[in-house]
Amino acid sequence: MFKKYFVWGLLSIVAALVVVITQWLPILEQHARANPPKTVFRNADNANVEKPCTNDHVEWRDAQEIEGVTLAASPSCEPDNPYTIASSVKGTNNVSMMTLMQSHLAQDAVIMGEDLDKDGDPDVIHIKLEVVELNGFSPDGDFLMNTYDIAPGLQPSLWVFAPKMQGMAVKNSNSRVAHPLLRAPSPVIRVEQGDKVFITLENTHYLPHTIHLHGVDHPWLTAAGHDNDGMEEHAVFPGKQHTYEIQPRHAGTMLYHCHVQTAQHFMMGLNGMIIVEENAPNNWVQTFNIGAGQVRHPAVAVKKMYDQEYDLHYQSLDKELAMIPQQANDPRLISQKMSREYNMTTSNENYFLLNGHSFPYTLRDAMIIAGEDERIKLHIANLQRSAIALHFHGHKATVMAYDGVDAPAGLQLTRDVFDIATAQRLDLSLKTKNDGLNSYGAGLWMFHDHVPTGTTTDGMEPGGNMAILAYKSLLDEQGMPKMHDALFNDIFNKEYYAKQRPLWATGNFAVLLGDAGKVAPNYGELIAFFTVIGVLVGAFILILYSYLQRKVHDTK
Amino acid sequence: MIQNKSFFFLISLFICTIIFSPISLANMVMDEKGMVMNANSDNLPKDCPQISETVNLIVHAGQKYATKFNGKMFAFDQQQWNVKPCAKINITFINDDQIRHQFMIHGLPGYLYPDGMVHLELYGEGELKASLIVPSQKKTYLVHCELAQHAEKGMKAQLKVGGGDGDLPNISAISSPIKMDAYSIDWTMLKWGGMVILVVVTLIFVSGRWLLFRHFSRRK
Repeated sequence: MFKKYFVWGLLSIVAALVVVITQWLPILEQHARANPPKTVFRNADNANVEKPCTNDHVEWRDAQEIEGVTLAASPSCEPDNPYTIASSVKGTNNVSMMTLMQSHLAQDAVIMGEDLDKDGDPDVIHIKLEVVELNGFSPDGDFLMNTYDIAPGLQPSLWVFAPKMQGMAVKNSNSRVAHPLLRAPSPVIRVEQGDKVFITLENTHYLPHTIHLHGVDHPWLTAAGHDNDGMEEHAVFPGKQHTYEIQPRHAGTMLYHCHVQTAQHFMMGLNGMIIVEENAPNNWVQTFNIGAGQVRHPAVAVKKMYDQEYDLHYQSLDKELAMIPQQANDPRLISQKMSREYNMTTSNENYFLLNGHSFPYTLRDAMIIAGEDERIKLHIANLQRSAIALHFHGHKATVMAYDGVDAPAGLQLTRDVFDIATAQRLDLSLKTKNDGLNSYGAGLWMFHDHVPTGTTTDGMEPGGNMAILAYKSLLDEQGMPKMHDALFNDIFNKEYYAKQRPLWATGNFAVLLGDAGKVAPNYGELIAFFTVIGVLVGAFILILYSYLQRKVHDTK
Repeated sequence: MIQNKSFFFLISLFICTIIFSPISLANMVMDEKGMVMNANSDNLPKDCPQISETVNLIVHAGQKYATKFNGKMFAFDQQQWNVKPCAKINITFINDDQIRHQFMIHGLPGYLYPDGMVHLELYGEGELKASLIVPSQKKTYLVHCELAQHAEKGMKAQLKVGGGDGDLPNISAISSPIKMDAYSIDWTMLKWGGMVILVVVTLIFVSGRWLLFRHFSRRK
């Protein structure tokens, strides 16, 4: 009898305690009332802080002549390798071994052949492209191979077409960093109108790919009757090659991209610009513009009209898609994850790149660097999933061509926001004439996609495709914009894009806009809570024991 | 950085090597089909009084050699070679694919092989020959193709001198990778059923006799 009451009594006490302690549950956040916590300061780990400009290859910036090829100056932090440019202009078969070795191109990467029309430039061109995975899986440890940072600390896997190179795919034998030729975006290809061009895809990758020459005048079949449209059903498998043949009658800014499982492969980065330059005598065009950006050896027709020429390649990545090649090494698993488990209709755009980099890396090699009173030709391609609304601060540019077709006078619109749908191209004429319309004068003027997602990096602002139209007078000796030191200190830091650091926490505002600290828990409630938990568990054991005891007694 | 400060120094050094050192010039042979770096058919390693044996090694590279392994894409036709200490190896490297492949040996002594490497590279289908002489040390040398993802996806092998000093990771069908892929387990109804039966049998074995005993005792 006593035991029965005892058990019932215990059970009611237990119930009451359970009700009471729900009021003391440990919680994650607490109101601070009159005294919010102090600002906390965390010193940046020096290993995560980067120099805004590493200032390698200072000598590459000057205007120079290599193998008889004149190269315009490129005062940016990371100028293009002049030997690669010279080899791209003359052909890898027409330069000295010294130049070729410093270009790192394979000896058959760009073969310049016969001058068919005897106008002083080669007209039969053989171009070879390989397919490269950046930030790929490594079975040798918890790291990625052939790394390429799009912004501080960010290494989404990317697939790119790359000019056929020689030697290792890494910087050197002790490094896992991708060779500088292997980078996003896929290189801009330039050919001359009327040239017989043979583009060979050598598939060095572990999945099938093609090259579709979007907008470039090409017959549907090659002379031998093979696929010439880069169609999915004629995919080039790993270890194989295929040559696409063109003799473009029409000049303009066009595209090339992989047309195998196009949605995924396009968004992995297998897309680039191909520009057909107007035919002219002695027109040696720069076959490859590695990493897009400034064209240091513009074609004859461009030089007549413009002081400078730039290629701007806009691209976006889905971090979920870009993670797939990093999750497995077996090509079957990668293929399954990418083709069947990943769903493009529920995808996102997380990273926005201009010329293969997100801000602040765009400042190293994707700025437009202008003098005053210049006329600059911009080739702009939107290779993002979504449309862009490109805005220039301080300038209004004029459209000269849409999708590689010259705009009639009535459509040469002068605007400050250009809407460009996916895969569309615009040729713009940008004048730096300080007249209140074309330009408002010298400055470090930003230019960026005005769609709010476009200037973020996985949601972190400032990031994305933000870049600067910089007047030379406002650049420092390393080609970086002046007056940006405070910002650089914040954002050339892996911790910033890992979302671990506040912006604006500088000077007097370090206290006001730093990270709020944490509050101490309510120790009284915590102690009460866990004491009661102890009591309850004890009571449970007690009840169980007495129950079992009774059972054993009964059976006896 | 090193590059910018000593760029001209390096260039001049490079020119000097070409002018003054025929050995260095012989270290690199390059044409439109491919290149060979650091081949060495004459110079003995310090620790080798003489060449112990001459091995003719024919190595094929290509996508088709990966078909015999699960989950790979590129491979050499063999994944392992054994030679004696101080052996001279005459390599014939044959690329059966229509793309670039390399045959690179790492970890060789730097005084004979700059960067410790012998590097054969074919820009497409074709054949290249080069020789090297290995030191006397028992060692396993890494052989791979340095194109992006080629070694990762199977084009990796090992050269064992004097039996070598162990296996390198991720050699197809020889050694496990350090970071491994996970595959779904082949669960069938039969296997699950077996597990359920196992649980029931164990349960009865441990507690059933007590339960049964109680049951019978009540009936009594």
